[in-house]
Amino acid sequence: MDYKVENKGNIKVVHLTGEIDMDVADKARQSILPLIEAGNEVHLNLSKVAYMDSSGISVLIESKKLSEQKKTKFELIEVSKPVEKVLAMARKFL
Amino acid sequence: MSETAHQDHTEKKAFLVNSSSLKEVRTFCRDVFEKLHIQQDLKDELVLAIAEAAQNIVKHAFKNSADANELMVVQISCENDKLQIAFYDRGTPVDPKKVKHRQIDNVKPGGLGTFFIQEIMDAVEFKDGKKPWINHLVLTKQL
Repeated sequence: MDYKVENKGNIKVVHLTGEIDMDVADKARQSILPLIEAGNEVHLNLSKVAYMDSSGISVLIESKKLSEQKKTKFELIEVSKPVEKVLAMARKFL
Repeated sequence: MSETAHQDHTEKKAFLVNSSSLKEVRTFCRDVFEKLHIQQDLKDELVLAIAEAAQNIVKHAFKNSADANELMVVQISCENDKLQIAFYDRGTPVDPKKVKHRQIDNVKPGGLGTFFIQEIMDAVEFKDGKKPWINHLVLTKQL
């Protein structure tokens, strides 16, 4: 998994690519949480993520919770089809 | 259920019990499902269920601290359009009664992963592992 952070005005756009599983979840977490911790509005682009499992969903939940604590915003702006399917299944659980 | 009959087929492979193996587990599954001509959407779901089960072995049966040479085995069998995926490991014995979803406010990968497995598969069964194995998990799905 790789990531890139793009500045769009006051918003940090994080682009993740590749596969997100337990093995790389910490790397994904570290690409997002410090930005939110610093008070930034963060938008996440997952359009180039070919696979994501429950570990990836966990990172999204942690990011959302932290953004609420920090009173900033965390939004998903684009998702790939495989990610959308996993999100749809996770919504039944959440 | 698919209208296409799938060829009977069995394959198994051993993997080191660590998170780096999860990608190899997915690759193995995709290769087998390719041979079985399983359609893409179902293939994606099955790969997710299998990877979540393998992740549970790494994370829960071995608490992320398996010996460097410890192995888990994944066996995929298809017979009469019934897909059976078996997992064998030598981790802490699993108590099936304790394998459940977590509460909404306490979502962790393991709890959500178990939910994914149960959503995708028709049946999830914990069997007694025969030596040298301790845990034997079987997932089934009618194709």
